[in-house]
Amino acid sequence: MNVISFLIGVCAVVSAICVVGLRNPLYSAFALVINLLAMAGLYAALDAHFLAVSQVVVYAGAIMVLVLFVLMLLNLKSESGRRLGFVRSAVALVIGCVVVMSALPPVVSHFSTMPQSTLSDNMRNSVGTVKAVGQELYTNYVAQFELASLVLLIGIVGAVMLAKRKSVTLAPRAGGLIGGSK
Amino acid sequence: MESILTYVALSMVLFVIGAIGVCLRRNAIVVFMCIEMMLNAVNLSFVAFSKLHGNLDGQIAVFFVMVIAAAESAIGLAIILSVFRTFESVETTDAGQLKW
Repeated sequence: MNVISFLIGVCAVVSAICVVGLRNPLYSAFALVINLLAMAGLYAALDAHFLAVSQVVVYAGAIMVLVLFVLMLLNLKSESGRRLGFVRSAVALVIGCVVVMSALPPVVSHFSTMPQSTLSDNMRNSVGTVKAVGQELYTNYVAQFELASLVLLIGIVGAVMLAKRKSVTLAPRAGGLIGGSK
Repeated sequence: MESILTYVALSMVLFVIGAIGVCLRRNAIVVFMCIEMMLNAVNLSFVAFSKLHGNLDGQIAVFFVMVIAAAESAIGLAIILSVFRTFESVETTDAGQLKW
């Protein structure tokens, strides 16, 4: 991990804390955009080029546009002023530190028992270019890929069904118009 | 070796920050954003282990997590929208009774 990826990691952690800590949801959303872009930088540092690009396009582009759209649509000015509460934040911080500190030593010991020579050979030949990932995706994972398209289709239909306003009356009105919305 | 361990530790920290956000915040949209952050933290450890073991299976897993996250965000935001229409608020404490 060189200096640049270390700085990107610090940026990711700081923006993640901003997402949790800032009171206005809009500021949280913009901090999340920074966080997602930093994650894309980390993927690029780990030689996962295809994932870095799709992270920018899918997460920082599409999903965040959707979140910001809903945020603007709901107009949440009145609820943005509530404080988090000092005691709750302190308890959450302590619990988080305990979880990280208890989970880290097993991971470190596991890493130290791994054979060094084969791993350093491994790390050289895994480069996630578009060609390599695409080849893997269309040979070994074809069924899952097609299933993913089905999941996306169900997601689209479900979102439209949930977000649609229900039409209340179907009886014809005096003016001859049919239907109407609540 | 050590660099991969740093990435895994970073993903752990990000996951815990996201989990704290899910527990602490009351705004449903911020809770949703924290869930996205947790998904991203797991993705980072997938990519780090893919680099460590020298095959692309971890990156394929990240690709599918992204697909599911896109579908999940569409459905989740639609649910938040319909909750807002019912309760006139997106605070999770206001929707705690599971009825309207």
